[in-house]
Amino acid sequence: MGGVDVGGGDGKKAMNAEINMIPFIDLLLVIVAFLLITAVWVSFSRINANAQVPGPPDPNKEITPETPQKVLHLYIRESEFGLIWKQGSTTVSESTIDRPEQKGDEIMYPDLAVKLGEEWKQHGGHQDVSDRKLDQAILHSDNGLKFGEIVAVLDALYSTKREMALKDGKREKQPVFNMTFSVR
Amino acid sequence: MSGGGPSLKKHDPHAHAIRVAKPRLMRSVPLRFVYNRVAGHGGRDPNASLNLTAFIDFLLVTVIFLLMSFSSSGEIGVDKHIKLPKAQNVEDVIEAPMVAVNGNQVLVDGNPAGSTRDIEEVGRMQKVDKLFEMLKRKRETWRSFHPNKNFPGVCILQVDRDVPALVVKSVFQTAAFAGYPNVSFMVQKRAKVSAK
Repeated sequence: MGGVDVGGGDGKKAMNAEINMIPFIDLLLVIVAFLLITAVWVSFSRINANAQVPGPPDPNKEITPETPQKVLHLYIRESEFGLIWKQGSTTVSESTIDRPEQKGDEIMYPDLAVKLGEEWKQHGGHQDVSDRKLDQAILHSDNGLKFGEIVAVLDALYSTKREMALKDGKREKQPVFNMTFSVR
Repeated sequence: MSGGGPSLKKHDPHAHAIRVAKPRLMRSVPLRFVYNRVAGHGGRDPNASLNLTAFIDFLLVTVIFLLMSFSSSGEIGVDKHIKLPKAQNVEDVIEAPMVAVNGNQVLVDGNPAGSTRDIEEVGRMQKVDKLFEMLKRKRETWRSFHPNKNFPGVCILQVDRDVPALVVKSVFQTAAFAGYPNVSFMVQKRAKVSAK
């Protein structure tokens, strides 16, 4: 057990004191048990989306026509994903990738994630570190598609990340796309 | 002082019984191995002392780790009828109004705010009126409590993984119209798997 040597000897009464460690160990065990019981083991997280609702125009600012940005339209079809980059009403590029059949609860589209990364490198409009804007992706899906499938596509969409300089000067990895639903 | 006479030794009647204290047990057995065992030579001490220092160190590290990861706010309330989908590329949950969507109804912080079946029956995207009113009220309450701050416009949707896209889009757009354009979907975090 723990002891404290405070001298003594030379015929005097020994001054070594023994500390009983048993209550201390008991206390530690009780704290460990309490914290283990009250711990939250299931971790929830969130995936971002943006409804792109425009705010009211500022009457003090002069409206100047801007070149429309390139937007990725991601179509979830029966057996494939359609990836179409549009600038205004002009189609810049169009490609497709197979949509593999998914069984069970674990839905993942790793090939789509890779393809989206390649597409962004080729067409993405916000690739500079100092650029804090994200490229917009619009998701088109059938009304009967299950939400689990939508999240799997969103997961693939957010897998491509880039370094972004934040306001405080720090750099952080951020997803390159911001997603919203097609209104139709 | 003694006199010149012969010294008189005091006779102790118990001298044969009281002796100097020392180990005596089984000393009379005339066998060497018995003597060795009794005297403590040759054999290991049966009492082993356990070093508790490492054990206490381990307990302290465990306590510190658990205290660091302890959250007093408790578990986030998730509707027990909702099976959340899983995703890898996620962010931490933040404090925001929770809109739960299961197979039957839409709930705002546990209070009914619409019917999922009604949206499905209509068959097209629509504004969920009760949800809109409840979210709008929440936004106005927030503004009255924080008059000098910008409204963050964040709300979190807890949607069952089997709910159709039509319901998700309707709830999503209703939240946006009610002043919550930054909508997040709550998911279960999936461990990262290494790329092939």
